[in-house]
Amino acid sequence: MTNKSHEADVAFIKALAELLRDNDLTELQVKRDYGEDDSLNVRVSRMAPAPAAPVQVQVPAAAAPVAAAAPVAAAAAPAAAPAAADEDPASHPGAVPSPMVGTVYLQAEPGAPSFIKVGDTVAEGDTLLIVEAMKTMNHIHAPTAGTVKRILVEDGAAVEFGTPLVIVE
Amino acid sequence: MKWPVGYGKRVLAEVDSTLDEAARIAPELSGPEWILALRQTKGRGRRGRAWSDPQGNLAATLVLRPDGAPDQSALRSFVAALALFDACVTVSGRAEGLSLKWPNDVLLNGGKLAGILLESSGRAGGVAHLSIGIGVNLAQTPPTEGLETGALRPVSLMSETGVQVDPETFLDALAEAYAHYEAQFNTYGFEPIRQAWLARAAKLGEVITARTATSETKGTFETVDVAGNLILKTAKGRVSIAAADVYF
Repeated sequence: MTNKSHEADVAFIKALAELLRDNDLTELQVKRDYGEDDSLNVRVSRMAPAPAAPVQVQVPAAAAPVAAAAPVAAAAAPAAAPAAADEDPASHPGAVPSPMVGTVYLQAEPGAPSFIKVGDTVAEGDTLLIVEAMKTMNHIHAPTAGTVKRILVEDGAAVEFGTPLVIVE
Repeated sequence: MKWPVGYGKRVLAEVDSTLDEAARIAPELSGPEWILALRQTKGRGRRGRAWSDPQGNLAATLVLRPDGAPDQSALRSFVAALALFDACVTVSGRAEGLSLKWPNDVLLNGGKLAGILLESSGRAGGVAHLSIGIGVNLAQTPPTEGLETGALRPVSLMSETGVQVDPETFLDALAEAYAHYEAQFNTYGFEPIRQAWLARAAKLGEVITARTATSETKGTFETVDVAGNLILKTAKGRVSIAAADVYF
């Protein structure tokens, strides 16, 4: 991609972000076809100001006030960027990333108890969950001893390489 | 047939599951080791499914300590499938009627002859050990009760070909074939394994269904990609699937 079209793309995305904010939208997706094998696909989203965004995982009670405050901050922010308070779990020092593309299982088998739940104390090497690819059940272990702060994936979810799975602190 | 150099073997009269035994002994192993159980009382399949092991069938697990990242390690699903396919050809003297179902089931005359389940134990950036559990219906066809809807009918080598082979003889053929493909995989990578697998694939170019715990994808079985994913061509485009049960 040339610098010129890169600049044009950035301007286009900025315009979309403004559109998003001015019209109080939460998500906008646009695809532009420039020619064969040449297209731009943009999705811009921001957190809804209210009600509190549904969080797909349990948040420990102590963290709740922060999470609740986040949407307010997002609404007041001038840009459509995701709320800063909802920090990227991948950059969390206690994040355990998926080592492979696959499907997550929180139990050893259907009907069995989950390996872990939020608040559990785990020892180094304990199984946190399984990621399956090609009938290989890869047990993901706790890299260090600690407490399970968050479980970032749901049972049966498809994950990519590097997807943060669990936060252990 | 000769036992491959560098591979250990232990034959147990009875065990709960060779995969469970593998997990117990893995920490003390210094090299690859085959575990054969003449009787397995709690064989298991994918996601808690029971694996029935009537007397005379093969129940074995190979424990490895592979180098490389977990996604590379998981490609041994195909290495094992190829070895199992070749072992079946060796003992029965023919390839006719044999095929592979993604990722690693061995079919005979359209029925399920054998299954493979792998378990690996992760450590930073790699795997501590990988266990390849293999079950083959040599002498007896397992009962069909409790089989899920759409599952392939189980078949045995004996029922389909009349060939009688005991588990220890079969393991010799399997271990030799596995060592061959493992060496190939280590030297040349996944590509030759992928090509050999595709050459033995069932239903290539036909419409199949891949089912996960949360979704179902129906499409034309186009290929297996360089990462081992099942590639289906659907009305909405190509779909890459890393984990699923395949139904015909």
